[in-house]
Amino acid sequence: MMNEILLVEDNPDDVELTMRAFRKSNIANEIVVARDGVEALDYLFSSGAQTGRPPTLPQVVLLDLKMPRVDGLHVLERIRAHPRTRLLPVVILTSSIEEKDLLNTYSRGANSYIRKPVDFQEFVEAVRQLGLYWLLLNQPPPPSSFTA
Amino acid sequence: MIEPRRRRLMRVVIHAITVLGLLAVVSLGQLAYRTAPTYATGAAGVGLLLLATSHLLLVREITKRDRTERALHDANRELESFSYSVSHDLRAPLRSIDGFSQALVEDIGDQLPEEALNHLDRIRHATRRMGRLIDDLMALSKVGRAEMSRERVDLSDVAEQVVAELRRQQPARQIAVTIAPGLQATADPPLVRLALQNLIENAWKFTSRRDGSAIEIGQARDGELGPAFFVRDNGAGFDPDYAHKLFGPFQRLHAVSEFPGTGIGLATVQRIVHRHGGRVWAEGKINGGACFYFTLS
Repeated sequence: MMNEILLVEDNPDDVELTMRAFRKSNIANEIVVARDGVEALDYLFSSGAQTGRPPTLPQVVLLDLKMPRVDGLHVLERIRAHPRTRLLPVVILTSSIEEKDLLNTYSRGANSYIRKPVDFQEFVEAVRQLGLYWLLLNQPPPPSSFTA
Repeated sequence: MIEPRRRRLMRVVIHAITVLGLLAVVSLGQLAYRTAPTYATGAAGVGLLLLATSHLLLVREITKRDRTERALHDANRELESFSYSVSHDLRAPLRSIDGFSQALVEDIGDQLPEEALNHLDRIRHATRRMGRLIDDLMALSKVGRAEMSRERVDLSDVAEQVVAELRRQQPARQIAVTIAPGLQATADPPLVRLALQNLIENAWKFTSRRDGSAIEIGQARDGELGPAFFVRDNGAGFDPDYAHKLFGPFQRLHAVSEFPGTGIGLATVQRIVHRHGGRVWAEGKINGGACFYFTLS
């Protein structure tokens, strides 16, 4: 497992702001950006445009929900359905706090759910805590669980 | 509006009654036929005609209601997906405006004149305010859609909790709060809590610019509308000429700079009270405090 973060986000402004927030929080891990669900799945499963990519997995997936082509909920389902990725930490990072989104993602095995605040300072703080928690504090599942 | 299951039951009952009626007309007709054949045939004919007409009318009425209800259901779903898009899609550009304004301040703030920094600050301020407006508007629309139950609720208890939370958030505020014990209501617990919370938070806010602030929560037994709960404060009050505007969404009777807020709180209270079949009204005068009354059935 590599120490990279997979950011699945279709809005280029949000990508830029999230990267900025990581930089400001001194999180130096490599951030791989997938601009929709298809790109995310291609990256995770070395398929499509990513065919032939060595099958490494990110340390955590930051997943937006509303995206063109394949949405976040479907990506989450695919991640949980595959033996190699079923334990991969997935953090939902979205604008919505609709009850149905919380319910749908948690019931499909999301590890965490964070609402992107409008206030950039709050956003930076959220990203800082998120990085600290998922990259340093949290003990990931054992590497053997990702080789199936 | 009749729920689908009850309507299905009604259909069965109508069919059963028609069949029973048919049997009754036929057997009574047979009986009567022995004594007065002409009369019996006529009466049976009229009976059958009446039976058939009423049957058709009833079934048609129910079908009509079916259709109306389905249209209403569709409209509701459309509204739901609309408000979902609003809350999700309207917030994204705001995040960009706020984030990149902040980025400018951080990256080249030291090269910008004071006035430009002030403008950027205003942009960020307005953006965050719009974020709050969207959130409050969504909360208001959720209040209108939420499923409702009716349970015994101890409003005194709820009021105590709301006040305790406010005291925790703003420990420096000196406010004398009086809550009448044993205020009982039959209401939806989360909704009535939200209503009371909005009223108490308002009282808390509008007494912030005076010394000796006091809030009283109780029940008024007299009055033409019967017993009503009330939240009274001795704060900034309002101009009674504009009392009718108090409960409209986005309506504010004070400047935002004076008392912050989005103008959604009392609209939320009104919607909750109306959903309980109750009434809400207010008394007050400028700098003479305000009293909000509500009933719940």
